[in-house]
Amino acid sequence: MLEIKNLRAKYPSATSLLFKDFSLSINKGEKVLLVGPSGSGKSTLLQIMAGLIPDVIEMPIKVDKQQISESYGMVFQDPDAQFCMSYVDEEIAFVLENRKTPQQDMDDFIDQYLDQVGLQLDDNHVSIQQLSGGMKQRLAIASVLALEPEVLFLDEPTAMLDQVGTKQVWDTLKEVSEDKTVVIVEHKIDHVLPLVDRVIILNETGSIVANGEPNHIFSQFRSKLYQYGIWYPNIWDDYASQLPNHSHGDKSHQPIITMHSFYGYYLKQIKMHVEDAEINRGDWIAITGENGSGKSTLMLAMMQLIKTSGEISYFLSESSRRCDYRKMGYVFQNPELQFVTNSVYVELEHSLKHSNVPQYQFVNRIEEHLTKYNLYHVKAHHPYQLSVGQKKRLSVATATIADVDILLLDEPTFGQDAKNTFQMLELFEECRKNGVTIVMVTHQPEIVELYATKEWKIKGGEITDIFDLSKQTENMLKDDIYVYQY
Amino acid sequence: MSISINYQPTWLHRINPSFKLLVLTALFIGMLFVHNPNFLLYMIIGALLLYLFCTGHSWKVVGLLAVPLLIIFLSSSTTMIFFGEGETTWFKFGLIHITEESFYRGIHLGLRSSVFGILSLIFALTTRPVYLFYSTMQQLKLKPKYAYSFMAAIRMLPIIVEEFQTLRQALKVRGVQYSKGVKGMYEKIKLYAIPLLAQSIRRAHRIAVAMEAKKFSKDSQRTYYYHLRYTNKDVLFSIFLVVWLFLAFICSEHFIVFPVEYVR
Repeated sequence: MLEIKNLRAKYPSATSLLFKDFSLSINKGEKVLLVGPSGSGKSTLLQIMAGLIPDVIEMPIKVDKQQISESYGMVFQDPDAQFCMSYVDEEIAFVLENRKTPQQDMDDFIDQYLDQVGLQLDDNHVSIQQLSGGMKQRLAIASVLALEPEVLFLDEPTAMLDQVGTKQVWDTLKEVSEDKTVVIVEHKIDHVLPLVDRVIILNETGSIVANGEPNHIFSQFRSKLYQYGIWYPNIWDDYASQLPNHSHGDKSHQPIITMHSFYGYYLKQIKMHVEDAEINRGDWIAITGENGSGKSTLMLAMMQLIKTSGEISYFLSESSRRCDYRKMGYVFQNPELQFVTNSVYVELEHSLKHSNVPQYQFVNRIEEHLTKYNLYHVKAHHPYQLSVGQKKRLSVATATIADVDILLLDEPTFGQDAKNTFQMLELFEECRKNGVTIVMVTHQPEIVELYATKEWKIKGGEITDIFDLSKQTENMLKDDIYVYQY
Repeated sequence: MSISINYQPTWLHRINPSFKLLVLTALFIGMLFVHNPNFLLYMIIGALLLYLFCTGHSWKVVGLLAVPLLIIFLSSSTTMIFFGEGETTWFKFGLIHITEESFYRGIHLGLRSSVFGILSLIFALTTRPVYLFYSTMQQLKLKPKYAYSFMAAIRMLPIIVEEFQTLRQALKVRGVQYSKGVKGMYEKIKLYAIPLLAQSIRRAHRIAVAMEAKKFSKDSQRTYYYHLRYTNKDVLFSIFLVVWLFLAFICSEHFIVFPVEYVR
């Protein structure tokens, strides 16, 4: 049994308490899901229950009773930040070494644990870097199983995975967790619900709002879940139903980018090829396809950020037919790599300095964008101090503030909670209505259905299908016209 | 992104890494006391033979890595030859002043740095870092916490390379322009170092927490997945060394190429 009684905790630099007189107990064999808005301290709570706080991570806490399990395993969110070895077999062996397993038994154990998570490799000595995100997380589960834990803590194990990876991971976890106590923190809960006996909702201030069976929680607290940005099943229906009827509207036939026999290279190899394609002004193009199919490569090629050959023409305002970064915005997956200054305000100013916007408009424009992107209260912060959602919004704002003609977005909603995702989609749609063309890579079929005017399907570095979605009616969610396979 | 170099393991790969490290370190130190360029010349022949035929890497890799070796040889010898001091002048033109003493000293210096370079390359090309750290834990009693920190750092390198590429693209898109000269260098370093460091420090912290969550403890009682022992390959390597040094010594006494015996 895990128990925490009257917990008080705060972040070292914070002024207010993260938890105040918080108590929770979890029975042996129980499977519990913890949900709550971003920043409600769910991950911290998990680390306290595991005993990582205060043993490993220093943090001021005060607790009357902290009953933890000596035998636990924890799967973390970031697939790239939980392995210390470079190869699959070595990573599991690391855990076996820690448990003082005799060397001659290790190979059998490694096979056994990899088998349990469904990672059948021809040779276990495979570089971890070559694995997909879903495979990495299953390896993380395998190495945690090697601890033979009684309790499993799962800290958003699928936050950084696409649909395919997410399903694989939860299917695996369902199989391996049967006889264990499981505590899960997760935002995307479609696949989690069949697994758990109890759901606990935390609010912004770290108190328990609801605590009960999954069915009960979903009938009673659906609006709370929506408000907190939890990806519960059918949340897209709820979102679509409150959207004003919008039209995919004012479609022009004015091209903004045309490509012909266009190739993109990486390490001297052809990675992407477009025979003939054009993007028109006012389009919202969704680029879809499996992992590694060349979606990001196509976007990088359109931005001339990798080596290209063939024909590509740009029809941007106020410039010749060249690729011009003052007129083209690009948002990378990791926003932190795009920040170049020390505060949110200056970050936006930096973008304006490199645009054709006259200087006297700077202040007004920055203020306007800070408000629109909900960043006004953090305008003096260093970009790295922002929350995940704020960082993402800032990276989009730095691209849109400078009057770009076209905005290229590499999975902008990836790893974001529902609240932030919807907020950003609406901002993109507003940009589009103001004449900005949008090209985005996405894995989310609902975004394609609700917003895109065209869908480009990519496979093996080629555009295999182009669907024109602007002719469809408003009620697309109801009549599934296309079968999406991801 | 992944760049992997394929190679055929040879007997050099099977030498105990700690033994190899200690022997090469001893050679490096010993070489500082060698003042006969003839001896170095014959040493370099042995080292080159090992480098060319025994590392198990393709000719492309071996050839490509030989380029910096040549540059090291040329740069370290020519600076000494052209600008070193000496009494017997051979040639003089402006700043360049070649004397007999400076010539031999330059050759000596070039040979010495080349032997250093070749031996280091042989070590790097024939030693898997993971084996090296396992071996230093087992043979040299290095504390596991240091060994595993190094191995975790190696795991992070390809991720940092990937991030560096994205960062370069991102800065280009953001329209970052650099000042000229030293100031521009400073700006560049700042713009690259801060994000890369921030990402790496955060990742390192997370990996450390994950390692402790996997019951990695400070006590050095643990079993090992790789057992690295001394084998007959180590004997072979020792014999090779003795024969090599002996031959080099004999040759340097009897087949004199440079008519000097003592250079310093």
